[in-house]
Amino acid sequence: MKNDYMTKIHRIGRIGVFIGLCFMFGIPTVIGLVYDEMPSISDIFRVGGGLFAVFAPIAIVEFLSYTPILGSAGYISFLTGNVLNLKLPCAISAMEQAGAQQGTEKGDTISAMAVAASSMMTTAVIALGVVLLVPLQPILTLPAVKTATTYMLPAMFGALFLGMFVSSGRAGNYTVKGKNWVIVPALVIISAIHFSGLYDFSRNSGLAIFLGILIICATAPIFLKLGIIKMKPIDNNSAPIHDKVKTN
Amino acid sequence: MTYFGIFNSPLLYGLVIVAIAFIFIYSLITFVTAYKHAQELGYKKEELKEITRGALVFTIVPSISIVIGLITLSAVIGVPWSWFRLSVVGAVTYELMAADMTATGAGYDSIGALAQTGDPSLVATIMFVMSFCIVCGILCTLFFNKGFNGAISKMSKTGPVGALIVSSLLLALTVNIPLQVSKGPVYIATMITSAVISLICRVLAKKTGQKWLSNFEMALCLILGMASSLVWVKVFGA
Repeated sequence: MKNDYMTKIHRIGRIGVFIGLCFMFGIPTVIGLVYDEMPSISDIFRVGGGLFAVFAPIAIVEFLSYTPILGSAGYISFLTGNVLNLKLPCAISAMEQAGAQQGTEKGDTISAMAVAASSMMTTAVIALGVVLLVPLQPILTLPAVKTATTYMLPAMFGALFLGMFVSSGRAGNYTVKGKNWVIVPALVIISAIHFSGLYDFSRNSGLAIFLGILIICATAPIFLKLGIIKMKPIDNNSAPIHDKVKTN
Repeated sequence: MTYFGIFNSPLLYGLVIVAIAFIFIYSLITFVTAYKHAQELGYKKEELKEITRGALVFTIVPSISIVIGLITLSAVIGVPWSWFRLSVVGAVTYELMAADMTATGAGYDSIGALAQTGDPSLVATIMFVMSFCIVCGILCTLFFNKGFNGAISKMSKTGPVGALIVSSLLLALTVNIPLQVSKGPVYIATMITSAVISLICRVLAKKTGQKWLSNFEMALCLILGMASSLVWVKVFGA
């Protein structure tokens, strides 16, 4: 069952992303040909080369950082964008609600479901925004609305991070005690680099997350060995039926 | 044909509407496939409805902020292409940067200056540059998502260390805390306000058994947290 679903969802994802790419480059091609303003490939590279050089490493780091959490939802997320400020919180919140963990089949399925629903909603809201662009403009450009949207990310992170810290008692088929310790070295190191001015991570938060993952990978075994983090296998047979369903 | 004549042409509207319709159908197919499989995994319809409702409600506010970006972007590259770019991959800052680089690369002062002159020769170049410069993440996910996730899934089953690392990856997102803190007191106060609202929602949901509070927790925190920023701006200054 698992392989069937995973194969199917990845196939849908790949086909969708491929067609999305065709639209991304097909639309400019049609416009260029119809209006006889087709640029040469060298023109595109000359103008966009610098920006590509800036964004390519960021995109790779974001892929490596966000994909383990999003799973197969990564296809829609990366195609429709707004990953950090919309798709990730949506997937995390849904997984928490469903009692599923990332990196598991349940987590992957719930994440795909939530992100797909979110993408449909975003598409619908933007389409509505296009239709109502003229009447909405005075409201959406009010100073209060502009100020509030500036602080959307901290408002989102506040709730998200609290949820992460209070609901981290499980890791796969294990119960975990003291799991939050695992992020402490990453927080200390990244804060030190950021506040000392060595590197301004606010320009590239994906890089900070990637570095955080590397530090977690390096320090988690040490915490476990020192007994600061303790893990016990879950005896699934003794769990209530509803819990068994949610155990990944 | 002028610059805005092409950027607001019926042809471009038509192409973009087809593309947006595709994005919607693609999302719908993914949703239905995942929804059915979640049922096979033991989730009840009611549970899945609640999760979906939570995701939909939470999405509304960030989507409105994208519409605000649309207003900004459409002033320099017209409505349909802005609509497409912000529905596919885009973020308004990147899109403006890409459009501006194309304009300055062609000798104009800015994308605004190019739009004012009405020179149509750079329209397709702008569209290509916007698509090309940000394509890397999509290509990575197209070619490596399955293999990468397979490796992560295997790692989680290798024993306690693997399980701990995989389940802790989510916590890596919290490195955003110092990044937000460094932006100033309004950011800190907004983040704390949102966390407190989240805590209140959780406690109330647990004590009163009002499950809807958990389902709409993220949306409530987002709206009230953003609203609180207006107060914090007055207290601390922008």
